[in-house]
Amino acid sequence: MLTYLMAAVALAIPDTVINLDAVTVSGTSQHSYMLKSSQSSVQVSNDYINSHFSGSLMQTLEKIPGVKAMSIGSGQSKPAIRGLGFNRMVVAEDGIKHEGQQWGDDHGLEIDQFSVDRVEVLKGPGALLYGSDAIGGVINLYTNHIPTSIFGGTVQMVGRSLNDQLGVSTKIGGRHNAFFYRAHITINNYADSRVPTDSIQYYSYYIKLHDGRLRNTAGHERDGSLMLGYAGYNFHTDVRFSDTYVKSGFFANAHGLEVRLSGIDYDHSARDIDLPYQWVNHFKVQSHSMLTLADDVSLNVNIAYQRNVREEHSEPVSHGYMPTPQGSLERRFDKDTYTAALSLSIPTERLGQISMGANAEHQHNKRDGWGFIIPEFRSTSAGVYLHGRWPLAWREGNVNAGVRFDHSHTHIMSYNDWYRTPTANGDSAYTQRSADQTRRFNSLTWSVGVSRAAGHWVLKANVGKSFRTPIPKELGADGINYHIFRYEKGNSALSAERSYQIDASIIWSNDIVSMQIDPFFNYFPNYIYLSPTADYTEGLQLYRYMQSRVVRYGCEGQLTCQIGSHWEAELMGEYLYAEQMSGDKKGYTLPFSTPWSASGEVRRFWGADNSAEIILGAHLVGKQGRIVPPEKTTDGHMTLNASVSKRFNLGKHISLKATLHADNLLNECYYDHTSYYRLIDVPEAGRNFSASIKLTIDD
Amino acid sequence: MKRILTLTIIAAIFSACGNDADDTDTTAPQIADAGEQTCPTDCYECFRGETIEFCYTFTDDTELGSFNIEIHNNFDHHTHSTSSVECEMDGKKTAVNAWIYNQDFSIPSGQTTYTPHITIDIPTDIDTGDYHFMIRLTDKAGWQQLKAMAIKVVSEEG
Repeated sequence: MLTYLMAAVALAIPDTVINLDAVTVSGTSQHSYMLKSSQSSVQVSNDYINSHFSGSLMQTLEKIPGVKAMSIGSGQSKPAIRGLGFNRMVVAEDGIKHEGQQWGDDHGLEIDQFSVDRVEVLKGPGALLYGSDAIGGVINLYTNHIPTSIFGGTVQMVGRSLNDQLGVSTKIGGRHNAFFYRAHITINNYADSRVPTDSIQYYSYYIKLHDGRLRNTAGHERDGSLMLGYAGYNFHTDVRFSDTYVKSGFFANAHGLEVRLSGIDYDHSARDIDLPYQWVNHFKVQSHSMLTLADDVSLNVNIAYQRNVREEHSEPVSHGYMPTPQGSLERRFDKDTYTAALSLSIPTERLGQISMGANAEHQHNKRDGWGFIIPEFRSTSAGVYLHGRWPLAWREGNVNAGVRFDHSHTHIMSYNDWYRTPTANGDSAYTQRSADQTRRFNSLTWSVGVSRAAGHWVLKANVGKSFRTPIPKELGADGINYHIFRYEKGNSALSAERSYQIDASIIWSNDIVSMQIDPFFNYFPNYIYLSPTADYTEGLQLYRYMQSRVVRYGCEGQLTCQIGSHWEAELMGEYLYAEQMSGDKKGYTLPFSTPWSASGEVRRFWGADNSAEIILGAHLVGKQGRIVPPEKTTDGHMTLNASVSKRFNLGKHISLKATLHADNLLNECYYDHTSYYRLIDVPEAGRNFSASIKLTIDD
Repeated sequence: MKRILTLTIIAAIFSACGNDADDTDTTAPQIADAGEQTCPTDCYECFRGETIEFCYTFTDDTELGSFNIEIHNNFDHHTHSTSSVECEMDGKKTAVNAWIYNQDFSIPSGQTTYTPHITIDIPTDIDTGDYHFMIRLTDKAGWQQLKAMAIKVVSEEG
């Protein structure tokens, strides 16, 4: 829980959080840092991101035990922590919850990964600071590092063989006395992705690929940001504008899960984007201010506005009673989010470190297009929290506890089909797909934790409750999901999902070896689950939102060994078990259950300041035999990866870092159980290389 | 000693994993031919105003759920069937009054084998040409099986 405190501190003084050595993903020898939090949190530095760069930020973070990048096609992926993704975890940028289309299974993060300075991954409930959704954990991306010199900047170029990706990103920043600025621009362009197969079989559909590429998965991206700020001794304020635009194609032979032939000549170019495709634009303005009062009392104010617009276009086709629609706009979502957060941190002699805060959020989502999946809605939520941290009187360590209350209000607008469907009495009508409804949810969450150090040991334990407000799709969906070709029916009676988790971290370290084990046990009394039923509605299999008891447990382990000053070895592993204890699918697991995995890495450094580095790694993933309809069992696999990097000092203030990274060296053809395209048997990427050249100028 | 203890804990945690002996149903139902009666089959031709005598056998190792029969036009040549048979198709055309048939059927509970006999009337006023005949079948657990066939509706005069 104290990670919340930690995060609050990070929000307040972005530059003061200890950056770990580039070589350590998690764990740290800094006892005091570790003891601040009773939860497992991992700091990932910019150096680490650079030297492990493998296409997308989420794929890079996937190397952290317990973190998974769920591939959603088009080279994009979505994060999951300990098997919980989508709306069961939070991605935050500089402490503000990123509001994209996180519910959907076919769109990416909508954040420019090149703008990220460092990442903090919190494993375990983060409800106290983030409110709804922070059940599995929080990935906090920091882009607000304050420049230390008058002028500095980087230019980075990346290339990737998998999809002929080429990207350029430029960042500049400077500080004049207390005033500072930062700006960045990124452009990124990629062609259709390659897979190590010449055909794909789905049921008995046989799809022949052209040049081993997934048709129409090309895309491009344009991002930029500007930040202005004042960093005084007792007062800090900044404002940041950012904009991300991505346009990418969907795999043309199976838009969603329906296999289609089309008159479009996809094969004439691997770089063009034909139908079906999507584009998304995320615009954000956020401001953060901190005032330090007497006696180290600090006050933080965060406000943000986010606009997320997304369109999906596909060839208009008739289905059932829906005639061929006009135009290609299948869906459009236009979501405005306003966020405000206030927190106060008071160090006291007698009562320990006390923090309190309040946040509020308002969302309005509009929709358009001939395909209906989520209704228009407005929602407002507000929460207040209080937490404290007290040093253990007789030992090195801390106890912490916190409590939070949230209220939210969701108003879902009704929606009727734009076409008529015959009714039983021989007439026809515009069928209602979503009824007008208002729901209110209250949630009380809490957390208690302890952290303790003794000799080489650090022990942490935490128990807490977190929650998630049902999303409008879960409450109000009533129609065909053309992407997955099923009929989805919402349930307006759903209650707010609750989760109880107990977790621990056991860490042992000396100068040579560091070892960490993070076990957890998690119970949901009312997990919201989209259950495939045995029934048909309008010709498609009916999937219904239900709530069931779910038990999940697992652990991550990590062993790092420093051999001299030039060698390092690391072993990591993770395991996760999930079971539905009630309902229709009693005895089954949850969808997209991560199989066990283990990986090993050897790193060798040399040159002045260890400026050169070579990394060899192996990643072993077990078979996933525990499945739930409509999944398939997925065999295990092993991949080998390598990367080499070197930093060159070109002058007093100029340096250049070149990195070459290779994934899947043996060109293994394998499936990823958590990939969106697993169901249609699309294999993962074969052997591929990424290269990055980064020029840094620092005054 | 402490190290040994820790390693034992790690070993215990990891060995506790990996038993996936479930008694849950993990197989999809099957759509099988019903011998000589099997109808329709790929490239099947039928006449407006007449009927299709649907006959397939459904099986499941645990319990069958329900099924759906759907017929829609393939005037735009949008997909192929689930079999390797290539049927000769008419040219592409725009639908005027295409046949839409979409019916959900239930299966009596407790069945592991079921052979429905259904008579589908082909309307007299629909467009002739290439159609898709889709069979969708579920079992009680929610697994689904698909079968798609290309059929052709021709006019009464033949």
